[in-house]
Amino acid sequence: MGKVIVITSGKGGVGKTTTTANLGHGLAALGRKVCLVDADIGLRNLDVVLGLENRIVYHLLDVVEGNCTVSKALIRDKQHGENLVLLAAAQTREKDAVNPDQMRDLMKVLRKEYDYVLVDCPAGIEQGFRNAVAGADQAILVTTPEVSAVRDADRIVGLLEATELHDPQVIINRIRPDMVRRGDMLDISDVDDFLRIPILGIVPDDESIIVSTNRGEPVVNDQRSRSGQAYRNICRRLEGQEVPFMDLQGENFMQRLLRRIRVGAANR
Amino acid sequence: MNKDVCRIKGSRRGLVITISAGADFAEVLRQLQEKLSAAEGFFAGAEVKLAFEDGQFSKEQVDALAELISAFGMSLDRAQPVTRYSPAPSVGEAYKEAEPAAGEETLLVRRTLRSGQKIHYDGNIVVMGDVNPGAEVACTGDIVVLGSLRGVAHAGIADRVDAMVFAFRLEPTQLRIAHYISRSPDEKQPQPLGPEVARVVDNMIQISPYTHWGS
Repeated sequence: MGKVIVITSGKGGVGKTTTTANLGHGLAALGRKVCLVDADIGLRNLDVVLGLENRIVYHLLDVVEGNCTVSKALIRDKQHGENLVLLAAAQTREKDAVNPDQMRDLMKVLRKEYDYVLVDCPAGIEQGFRNAVAGADQAILVTTPEVSAVRDADRIVGLLEATELHDPQVIINRIRPDMVRRGDMLDISDVDDFLRIPILGIVPDDESIIVSTNRGEPVVNDQRSRSGQAYRNICRRLEGQEVPFMDLQGENFMQRLLRRIRVGAANR
Repeated sequence: MNKDVCRIKGSRRGLVITISAGADFAEVLRQLQEKLSAAEGFFAGAEVKLAFEDGQFSKEQVDALAELISAFGMSLDRAQPVTRYSPAPSVGEAYKEAEPAAGEETLLVRRTLRSGQKIHYDGNIVVMGDVNPGAEVACTGDIVVLGSLRGVAHAGIADRVDAMVFAFRLEPTQLRIAHYISRSPDEKQPQPLGPEVARVVDNMIQISPYTHWGS
């Protein structure tokens, strides 16, 4: 019996979809069977980030409405095949086309087949959010070190208290160590002091994310990328391993250079 | 050395002379004279309030104190009601008092209030956790937050001006007591070092560090 994890944030643009895609790839690389569900009906993105847009034939609503079987609608990933599949969202419909009960039934089917079902939640706290959290066992909040994003995350924690999802964890995305050092950005302890929920991971801001997102190849597969390393760490933590947080502060130019050379050599 | 029966203390509201419970009046006069002459001129011009730990002095005795005080160039503020500390209730009375009056019940909230959550209560509220921005606590009595208060708090909503708001870290978005409203300054403030309490003083909400009740 697999675990259903919803990835949510409240605020838009903090990296929910990117996180979903990277965790999916990372867990599949650890040998797990993973199903990704795009619950952002009408504004789907996960397929693009995964580079699977052109393979969509059936989507979530087709499954819910009984137009096709679940297995028929699942799109196999280019790299991981059977071990990483996507259930895409419908682009031409709206969020109220599906209800929480239908989502719960769908999750029941998916968790039988897969070790992890990751649900990419839409921004906001309306119907789309309620659909996405229905049937989930666990919630991962994504936030950035910005006051508005942290506030929205706090609102979500409050809303989750009203559901069965009592112990959400948070990923702090797009940390910029140089800005934190100058005192221009909230640091991890600021966010922690505010939300007071367990931190699952810290992902540094990284240009390669944008490049890889546009290319449809999640950064988690890039051994040289710092953010990729952060996502790999999060995946191992989800697997129950103890992985210390990356030291974002202590790295200067020389250390960065040395690490690049070392990793480069290891990849060869 | 005799027991200290009268103490002079400066407070936000001016000088307060506290007379100990059960003190002998002649001894009070003698000590006050001694203390005021020791600080000759230092208190001149000050407005003084008297506080009795019990209310046993007669009007004549208060007049005698007022005369002594004015002899040192100070004036006694009689317009303000004299603070009286009520004597500790006997056990029977304490039991009677445990029965709360209508609207004086206290609600215990054993969690953090997060953005979008609101608690409205007829009585007092104690929050064992934080009140985050976007959350709101409102009640007819006092508000006590055993954590950080960063949201909106409204104490004494039925226009109870003596209501107060207490927090371990008082950094509210907005504070309301009775019909008074104040907000945090727009500039970033240093974090308060310790517990603070907000009350209405002179038609304004005033925040002061919490030391102990009665200070």
